[in-house]
Amino acid sequence: MNRHKIIAFGIIAEKIGKTEFYLENIATTQALKEKLYNQYPFLQTLTFSIAIDHEILQEELTLEENQEIALLPPFSGG
Amino acid sequence: MNHSPFSFAFLQGAITPTHIAEIVQQNAAMLTLGAHSLFLGQVRADEKENGSITAIEYTCYAEMATAQIQKIITLHSTQYALKSVFIYHSIGTVAIGEICLCVAVGAAHRKEAIEACQSIVESIKKEVPIWGREIINESTSIWKTNHFSSSQ
Repeated sequence: MNRHKIIAFGIIAEKIGKTEFYLENIATTQALKEKLYNQYPFLQTLTFSIAIDHEILQEELTLEENQEIALLPPFSGG
Repeated sequence: MNHSPFSFAFLQGAITPTHIAEIVQQNAAMLTLGAHSLFLGQVRADEKENGSITAIEYTCYAEMATAQIQKIITLHSTQYALKSVFIYHSIGTVAIGEICLCVAVGAAHRKEAIEACQSIVESIKKEVPIWGREIINESTSIWKTNHFSSSQ
């Protein structure tokens, strides 16, 4: 069984009410998204990126142990 | 202050005139530098539905933001043959009228300095995981959105 730590920022952290949580048994980024949309339906209506180990996800990947997964709403620095 | 002429830091709260003066001072030692281009972002008291903005509270994904900004510095330094790049971004609360972003670029000539400075500011706004929450009052805030039209 694998277990991934997900960290959330900005409006996503605010809406889910926490900055980190864990998801179990997600083998791929497709599975990750399905689980996220299922658990937090508001994500389907929000624009956000997923970063795996600080790299924005560009194509679907197989997830590995100990990767840092982050949910990033649109950036608004400056 | 960091003595590398290519450096970035998150600063807690507003960026002060002293921080900016130190950059000018540090560039004074670089005798092949002939042009500074400086961008300062200041928090505006924009009018919103429920009142006007009083401050912006910044949060970031620190490790990724630092890595992204280092990439932006490296890319621009090479492309524009820059002599120095100093970037400060605020974290935490910055009140209206205060400075939240400083991009200071040094080059041999003005064209490279000005173009690189503008491109770095655009890259920071687009590519770096930092979020601003616009504070109206104690109970009201709005997540800031960045726009990329010619008026921004």
